[in-house]
Amino acid sequence: MAVNRSVPGPSNLLGMDGIEFIEYETSKPREFGRLLQKMGFAAVARHRSRKVTLYRQGTLNLVVNAHAPGGDTPKLSAIALRVRDAAFAHKRCLDLGAWDMPTRASAMELNIPGIHGVGESLIYFVDRHRDFSIYDVDFVPIARASPKPPAVAGLHWFGVVQAILDGRTGDWLDFYRHLFGFAALPRGQYFGVLPKGTLLESPCRKFYLQLIEPPPGAEDIHWEEGLVRVGLGAPDIAAATRALKGRGIAFIDRGAVQPSDKGALTQVYMGAVTFELVVSRP
Amino acid sequence: MNIDHFGMDTITLAGPLEARLRAIRGAGFTQVMLNAGDLVGHPDGAQAAMDAVNASGLRCTGFQVLRDFEGLSGHLHAYKVDVAKAMLEMCGGLGAPVLLACSSTSAHAAGEREALVRDLRKLAMLALPFGIRVAYEALSWGRHVNLLPQAWDIVQEADRSNLGLCIDSYHAIANRAEPVTVEDIQPDKVFLVQLSDFLWHETRTPEDRIETARHYRVFPGEGVHSEQIAGLVRQLDGMGYRGDYSFEVFNDDYKQLPPPLVAERARRSVKWITGLVSRRSLPALRNRAS
Repeated sequence: MAVNRSVPGPSNLLGMDGIEFIEYETSKPREFGRLLQKMGFAAVARHRSRKVTLYRQGTLNLVVNAHAPGGDTPKLSAIALRVRDAAFAHKRCLDLGAWDMPTRASAMELNIPGIHGVGESLIYFVDRHRDFSIYDVDFVPIARASPKPPAVAGLHWFGVVQAILDGRTGDWLDFYRHLFGFAALPRGQYFGVLPKGTLLESPCRKFYLQLIEPPPGAEDIHWEEGLVRVGLGAPDIAAATRALKGRGIAFIDRGAVQPSDKGALTQVYMGAVTFELVVSRP
Repeated sequence: MNIDHFGMDTITLAGPLEARLRAIRGAGFTQVMLNAGDLVGHPDGAQAAMDAVNASGLRCTGFQVLRDFEGLSGHLHAYKVDVAKAMLEMCGGLGAPVLLACSSTSAHAAGEREALVRDLRKLAMLALPFGIRVAYEALSWGRHVNLLPQAWDIVQEADRSNLGLCIDSYHAIANRAEPVTVEDIQPDKVFLVQLSDFLWHETRTPEDRIETARHYRVFPGEGVHSEQIAGLVRQLDGMGYRGDYSFEVFNDDYKQLPPPLVAERARRSVKWITGLVSRRSLPALRNRAS
């Protein structure tokens, strides 16, 4: 069934249409870049004036920002949402009580509006993704790099996992529900190999957010709020893990999270970076 | 229920912040309710005040007070949003879990329910990333909201996870002849209970209530509404409220007395309250045993 997702419905007031890009901050962009290449991404463009690189595979855009002061461990620092009208989305969120993002915190020089998300992360609004690309203005293509490298094993954005403090599920549900129109899935409905927390479906029905409170008995674990990992959808998990293993990626193969037809979880790289695979068709 | 469930507001005591914190800790309390003035009035700056609180060993009950937020429009609303953001940043810097917001007294504030709900939702959203809960209090001289049931109606309609009520015994008693009833309120939506009494039976006008509230409050057990306060605490305890109680006692005399002496009066008030509640519990325990 063909559905025109760009027409905002009553639960999609912002006309959300998926994730435009995900941004990581790191002081080790080369090492992180090598990891991304193993995950199937290719560097396609560099920022005109900042230490910012655009990686891509298929429909996935991933921005690595080494311009902002960051630690050695790459940090998931922003989600850019495709919306019908970025200025409208921004103003509506501010009217409802969101905090405007700090001036010039964006990896881009284009005026991409945004708000504060969880922890130190940001949420950008992008409306120029059809006729021309935001990347055309800020980035210079890398010579001899294909501008549209194909996705490994059909990888696409599935979602983002967010750690939250104990008892904060209701608060963050309010945040995503009232600012953007996300809807909580019924309890017990999960995807992948990490069936925990609360799943929220985007109003465009193109991706999910997963809110995870600390597990019981984790009082001694250092747990802070923030974006912790991306989920990548793949139509065939066995094929995807095979392809990524062939590129040098290792998966956790013990316990409950070992690869199955539902999904898989990579080992931890660079101190805290993992990627989750979830069976899904784009 | 024991002294760990109670704290003192710094506004009750005289002297520098460090001396007040020492007096509160010295009387056996483990928590303190802070006022924005504690931070901005500290001679060495807000960070020094936060350091003093951290060093005191006292847990922060909450932070007060955002006034006249809801019901404004245009530039007045924008101005109050800026004030609220600055207060939330101070509250977040202290690690205070609750921001106290009093119902508006402003002659410029609209009273339409829709506007009040919209603005309190916005305040809750502003507080959300900090992990701060907003406790809305019906000030007994509030322009449009001055009774506890009115505040509860608005909090219910706003329906935000981090928006709840502050129940202040003074305001609840001062504005009503009949006993205070809180049994209709969900206990998990009570984010803070402020306790104080006063020395006369009635406050007939808003002016009376303002004057009494700001200068003549006393600790529970010292005033003339002991039965009403006891009834309120019994109801809260009976309906399952297990959150914090803080003594918000504005009293000009107490500001002229040594802080340890006043803190000792607060400690005696805790004994008075816990005695009442445990007396209530005893028959229930006997029933279960039989």
